[in-house]
Amino acid sequence: MTYAYLFKYIIIGDTGVGKSCLLLQFTDKRFQPVHDLTIGVEFGARMVNIDGKQIKLQIWDTAGQESFRSITRSYYRGAAGALLVYDITRRETFNHLTSWLEDARQHSSSNMVIMLIGNKSDLESRRDVKREEGEAFAREHGLIFMETSAKTACNVEEAFINTAKEIYRKIQQGLFDVHNEANGIKIGPQQCISTSVGPSASQRNSRDVGSNSGCC
Amino acid sequence: MSDEDDIESPVLTEASSILEDGNCEPAKTSESVDQRANPESKSEPVASTRKRPESKPSSDLETSEVLPVQASQAAGKETVSKDVPQTGWGYWGSWGKSLLSSASATVATVGQGISNVLEKAETSLGIPSPSEISTEVQRATGETNAKENETSSPMTGPFGVFSTISTAVQSTGKSVISGGLDALEFIGKKTMDVIAEGDPGFKRTKGLMNRNSTLSQVLREAKEKEELWTSNEVTVETDKKAHYGLLFDEFQGLSHLEALEMLSRESEIKVKSVLNSLSGEELETLKLELEQLKEAFSLAEFCEEEEEEKKGDEDFTKEITELVSQLNVSSKPEKLARARNTACEWIRTSLAQPLEEKEEGEKQLEAEKTVHINKNSIEDIHAFAIRSLAELTAYSIELFHKTAALVLHGRKQEVTAVERSRTLSQMTVVLCKELSSLSKEFTTCLTTAGVKEKADVLNPLITAVFLEASNSASYIQDAFQLLLPVLEISLIENKTELPEA
Repeated sequence: MTYAYLFKYIIIGDTGVGKSCLLLQFTDKRFQPVHDLTIGVEFGARMVNIDGKQIKLQIWDTAGQESFRSITRSYYRGAAGALLVYDITRRETFNHLTSWLEDARQHSSSNMVIMLIGNKSDLESRRDVKREEGEAFAREHGLIFMETSAKTACNVEEAFINTAKEIYRKIQQGLFDVHNEANGIKIGPQQCISTSVGPSASQRNSRDVGSNSGCC
Repeated sequence: MSDEDDIESPVLTEASSILEDGNCEPAKTSESVDQRANPESKSEPVASTRKRPESKPSSDLETSEVLPVQASQAAGKETVSKDVPQTGWGYWGSWGKSLLSSASATVATVGQGISNVLEKAETSLGIPSPSEISTEVQRATGETNAKENETSSPMTGPFGVFSTISTAVQSTGKSVISGGLDALEFIGKKTMDVIAEGDPGFKRTKGLMNRNSTLSQVLREAKEKEELWTSNEVTVETDKKAHYGLLFDEFQGLSHLEALEMLSRESEIKVKSVLNSLSGEELETLKLELEQLKEAFSLAEFCEEEEEEKKGDEDFTKEITELVSQLNVSSKPEKLARARNTACEWIRTSLAQPLEEKEEGEKQLEAEKTVHINKNSIEDIHAFAIRSLAELTAYSIELFHKTAALVLHGRKQEVTAVERSRTLSQMTVVLCKELSSLSKEFTTCLTTAGVKEKADVLNPLITAVFLEASNSASYIQDAFQLLLPVLEISLIENKTELPEA
């Protein structure tokens, strides 16, 4: 129930790349192939455990449609992490990454951790974007990179959690001012006075993050 | 401009009479109420604007920052027409503060950071303004007139109102509640506003609120307090179930609210920059149009609202669906309707047994469905009530947020911004009424289930339900006000797209 920190995430990327599916897989552990188009933004939240600390991820799943673009930009503010998603079976979604990245950089804090995600890794036979290309793009722009499958849940946990780890690392390095909510980080309710977090803070029904990686 | 003055003048007289009165005594109140009882439809909207002028603090404040002309104009207008030279906030100041002092004791969500407003503690709970009263009267009588013939002359002083209700209802428990509801609803509705409005001279209210003044901030803080509290003290699992703030967040109400605030703020900035770029006649025309829009946002229907035959259960769903379709955006109220119907169903089954012998006929029709129901404890009822309120409020705010997104998204508009505003304000009324009626039913459940309980066990639960219901209503109304800048910018954009109207 309580948490040491709350991180705000945004999920961005072209329509149909699987943003809402990634969220659903992460929060509910299920896959729903048919989705309504996201209007504006939808939300999900989940507790994760990083380094023995409970961290609440508050995830803003934005609409990918071009026509919503100007609206979704409004939601970027105050995000600590971003999942920038493309579809490995559709090259154009990869080609649009630069413009998404520009948007993200322009409308949010410069410290925001961005995770590049090539989704639909289960559709290997229809692959249109090589993993190496994704890696190269990420390297070039200073992003973390992963290929995921919202359908099989492969790497979904990791994508969200590694982002959180990176944010947490930045906090510890003092790169994030945790008291400035514009950074997308909030200190949990019991930490109001002292920033240092006792380990006792994280006992309550945590959904511990077991590593189930190694599938992709 | 001139016909606007016509509209305003009667109401302003009324307002100044309150000012002189301070705490509006019953006598004076009923007088002004009588005035309002005249079939003077035009005075209604403006009166309602007064009812919640504070409900658009951010927009007003923001606008006044950038448009000092407009602000001073507005202030000037009031100064002229009233004998007492006051700006907008002064009108609320006198009883607002006294109200706050009583409210702060009870309203958990707004307890922090407002002590400096409490400099003047007056003894009595501020009695609502005439418009406030008449609204309550209409609402109250609307609900009770099935049994009463009071409808012909529903306008009495505040105490008359309560006694009317008392005679109308059978069980004593209920009459106490009905009396208390108006006050509570009122406290909840006002407390937020008083904080926002208690700052003289349209200054930023941030100082008062310890840096945060947005609604979602207040709510978030409340939730965090609850989180803290639950983590520290609550050992019993069940206790957590009944925390409004936590539940509201769980239903993503807080997130939607925050998102709506973002859209609202962004729209506001755009509106300002458009206004700044205009001048002369163009500016005046636009201002006038925006003024009309603002009026549509005044929740006028709170007063005008039909006396209305007792609603069937389907009506809420129908009504809200109809309203949403009138908005002509593709948002859907299904989640909301489902949650509401679940709550109603629950109440019905919960009440079915104990009410068997009572003459409260209308709720009984489906009593057969209760076979499997064993009696709920008052704690269960309380928990379910709080949960339902949090859920409904969260979904209402989600609906507003989605609507905002779709309004901003929509290019072509078959529906004008003013029409949309009216629909939205009607929607707000419907939602708040529904919350109010649900809370009444929940407390009926509580009183029936808790007949054998001691008052000090039962009453806090009842109070809590009403309090959260009234808070819910104010959250919804405040969220509704966040839509104003969104519709303003949509009006402006629509104009520029169709350059000639």
